[in-house]
Amino acid sequence: MRLSHITKRFGANVAVDDVSLDFAPGEIVGLVGENGAGKTTLMSIAAGELAADEGTIEDPVPVGIVHQHFLLVSEFTIAENLALAMWGRDAGEIIRESGIELRDVSRRVADLSVGEKAKLELIKAIARRPRVLILDEPTSVLAPTEARELFDVMRRLAATGTTVIFISHKIPEVLEVATRIVVMRRGRIVVDGGTMSATELAEAMVERRSDSPVRPLVNTPRHVSSRPGSAGRTGESDLRFHPGEIVAIIGVAGNGQSELALSLRDSLRGRVAHIPEDRARDGLVAEMTIAENIALADRHWRPRAAAERAAALIERFNIRAQSPLQRAGSLSGGNQQKVILARELERHPEIIIAAEPTRGLDIEATSFVHDELRDAAARGAAILLITSDLDEAFALGDAIHVIYRGALSPRLTPEEAAVRAPQLMAGVA
Amino acid sequence: MRARQLLIAVLAAFSAVALLALSGLAFGHGELLSILISGSVGSTFALEGTLLKSIPLLLTGLSVAIAFRAGVWNIGGEGQFLAGAMGAFLGARYGMIAALAASLIAGALWASIASALRLWRNAPEVLTTILLNFIAIHLLGYAVNGPLQEASGKYPQSDLASASLPAIGELHLGVVIAVLAAIGAWFLLYRTAEGLRLRASGFNRSAAKWAGVNVNAQLVRAMAISGAMAGLAGGIELLGVTHRLFERFAAGYGYAGIAVALLAQLHPLGTIASSLFFGALTTGAGELQRTAGISSTVATFGQAIVILVTIVFTRRKIA
Repeated sequence: MRLSHITKRFGANVAVDDVSLDFAPGEIVGLVGENGAGKTTLMSIAAGELAADEGTIEDPVPVGIVHQHFLLVSEFTIAENLALAMWGRDAGEIIRESGIELRDVSRRVADLSVGEKAKLELIKAIARRPRVLILDEPTSVLAPTEARELFDVMRRLAATGTTVIFISHKIPEVLEVATRIVVMRRGRIVVDGGTMSATELAEAMVERRSDSPVRPLVNTPRHVSSRPGSAGRTGESDLRFHPGEIVAIIGVAGNGQSELALSLRDSLRGRVAHIPEDRARDGLVAEMTIAENIALADRHWRPRAAAERAAALIERFNIRAQSPLQRAGSLSGGNQQKVILARELERHPEIIIAAEPTRGLDIEATSFVHDELRDAAARGAAILLITSDLDEAFALGDAIHVIYRGALSPRLTPEEAAVRAPQLMAGVA
Repeated sequence: MRARQLLIAVLAAFSAVALLALSGLAFGHGELLSILISGSVGSTFALEGTLLKSIPLLLTGLSVAIAFRAGVWNIGGEGQFLAGAMGAFLGARYGMIAALAASLIAGALWASIASALRLWRNAPEVLTTILLNFIAIHLLGYAVNGPLQEASGKYPQSDLASASLPAIGELHLGVVIAVLAAIGAWFLLYRTAEGLRLRASGFNRSAAKWAGVNVNAQLVRAMAISGAMAGLAGGIELLGVTHRLFERFAAGYGYAGIAVALLAQLHPLGTIASSLFFGALTTGAGELQRTAGISSTVATFGQAIVILVTIVFTRRKIA
C-alpha cells in the first residue's frame, strides 16, 4: 500500500501537507511526532475514515485501526461487543485466534481494566484480518507489563506479514519495537529511516525554528531576590522560580506539561497570570467582547470604562481589532493571544505561568510576546515558561528544567541544558 | 447579532400564533384567532387578565434567563414557585414585606438543594431540579391536606393568607415588583462584575476558570438568584391573586418560564415583552375554552412552538 501526495486541511489549518509514504509487509513502523503533528489525521486517511483533500491511496489493502479512545459499548459484555464487530462467530474463538489473552467473555466492558479494554479493541481489529494494522497511542493507557505483551503481539503479527503502524510519542518504546521510524512535524514527514538514537529522535520531534545551536542569552541585569516566587512539586524535583527570573520547562508534549499548568492554576494564590496552552478552549470567551474578556477578573465592571481601557490595550499591544466591542471569537489566533496577554499582564502579576505562549504565532507576534515576557520579568515577575519550542526556552530562560513522564529534571543552566536536554527529553539520561 | 435575535423572537412568536390559527381553521374553528385576540387584549377586562398572567410568567422567565445565562439548567421553576408560595403563606402572618422576603428565601433555598447535590455528587441540575418539582408538589399536597389545611377542614386548601398585596381593582402591586425585578436582573447581568463573570461561566466554563473566575461560586449564586425569582413569582401569585394555597397551585408557571426566557433570547428586558405575549396567549386561551369550548391547553401548544422555533434557529447551545 502506498500513500501518494496526501494533503488534508481543516479550515485554514493544514493538518497533513503533501505526504507520501509506502508500507512493506512485515514492517513495524513507529510513527512519531508531537500533538498536532498530523499523525492521527494521516492514519485516519490511510484507514479510509477520512477523505484526503488531495492525493491518492495506491494499491489499497484492508486496513484496521485501533483508536486512542475506545469504541466499545460499556454496558455490553466482551462477547456482545465482539458480536457487534464480527456477527456470528464465537467470541472465545476470536480471542484465541488473535493470540491475546483475555479471560471470561461474559464480563461487562464497564468492569474491565483500561488495559483489558485496550486488548479487546485490539482483538476486534485483528479479527478482521487487516493487512495493515494501525495502533494510535496504544500504550498511553497500559501498564509497562501490558505494553510488553502488546509489543509481543505486534511482533507476531509482523512475522505473519502484517504491516503494523504504531503511533506514539514515547521515544523508548518506539526505539524498542519499531523496525522503521517515521517522524512527522507540522503535517510533514521530516525523517523516515531505520535506526536512530534516542537523542536524534528527540531532536527530530521537537521543533527548532532556526538551525543555530544555542543563541547567546540576552540577559538584562535584573533584580533577583532570594525569596522564592513559588514552589510546586511535580514528580521528583522541586520547582522554584524567583522574582525577576524566567524558568523554562521543556520536553516532548504529553509528558505532564498540561497537568503541571493545571495544578499550578488551581494551587497558586495571589496575583498570578495564566496563559493557557489551549487557546481556543481556555483562552477567551469567544461569544463575549474584547472589553468583557479583558475585564473578566476585575473587581468592577463599568462598560464604558472597560471599553476605554480595552481600546488603550488594543493600541498598546497592537491588536488588530476594529473596536473593543468586537467579539473575541472573531479575532485571529495571534490577536486572541495578544488579548490574553494584555489581560493577564495588565494585572502586574507577581507570578506568570505561560504555557506555549507563542504556538502558532507568526514571527512578529512571537517576538512581541517574548519582549512582553522579558519586560514583565524585568519588572520583577517570576515567570514559568512551559514550552515545546527549544529556541524559545533558550532565548528566554534563565534556568531550564526538562519534564519527562511527569517528573522534572534538576534545575539546569542554559549551558548545561544545551548539552543534556536531548537525552533528558528522551528519557535516556 | 442583536438583530438576528430579535428576528428569531418575532419569528417564533409569529409561528406560534399562525400555527394556532391554522389548526383552528383545520378543525373548523375559524373564529379561533379573533377570540384569542379579543379575549386577551380586546377589552379592559381582557387586558387586566393578560397583565395578571404576565406577572408570574415574567418572574419565572427571569428565573430561567439568569440560570441559563450562567449555564445552569434550572428546570425546577415549578418547584421553586411552590416553595416560594408556601414560604409567603407562612411569612404572611408577619406582614406583606415579610411574606415577600420569605418567598424569595424559600425559592432560593429550594433551588440550592440542586446546587448542593451538584457540588457534592456532581448531580446534573437538569435532573435534580425537575425531581425537586415533584417533591414540592407533594409537599404542597401534604400541607393543604394536613398542617396548613383550612380551619373548617372541608377542602384541601389553606385559609386565606394573613397578608395580601395592595391592588387597584384586580391589578396588584406585583406588576411593579416584577418589572423592577426585570430591571434588577438586567443590571445584575450587564452592569456588575458578578454578572460579567456569571455570563462568562455560562458561555465557556473553562476559559472563565483560566481567567481566574470562581466558576462554582457563579453556579451556586446563579441557581440561588434563579430560585429566588421563581419563589417570588409564587409568593406574588399567592398574595395578589389566589390568597390561599391549594393542590394545583403552580399551574405550569414554572415550566412556562422556560418558553418565556427562550423567546426573550435570555435577555431580562426582553422577558418583559415575552411574558406579555405568553400572558396574552394564556388569557386568550381561557376565553377560547369559555366561548368556543376549545381546551385552554392550546396555550401550551403555543409555548411548545416557541421553544422549538427558538432552539432550531439559535446558535447558542441550549442544554
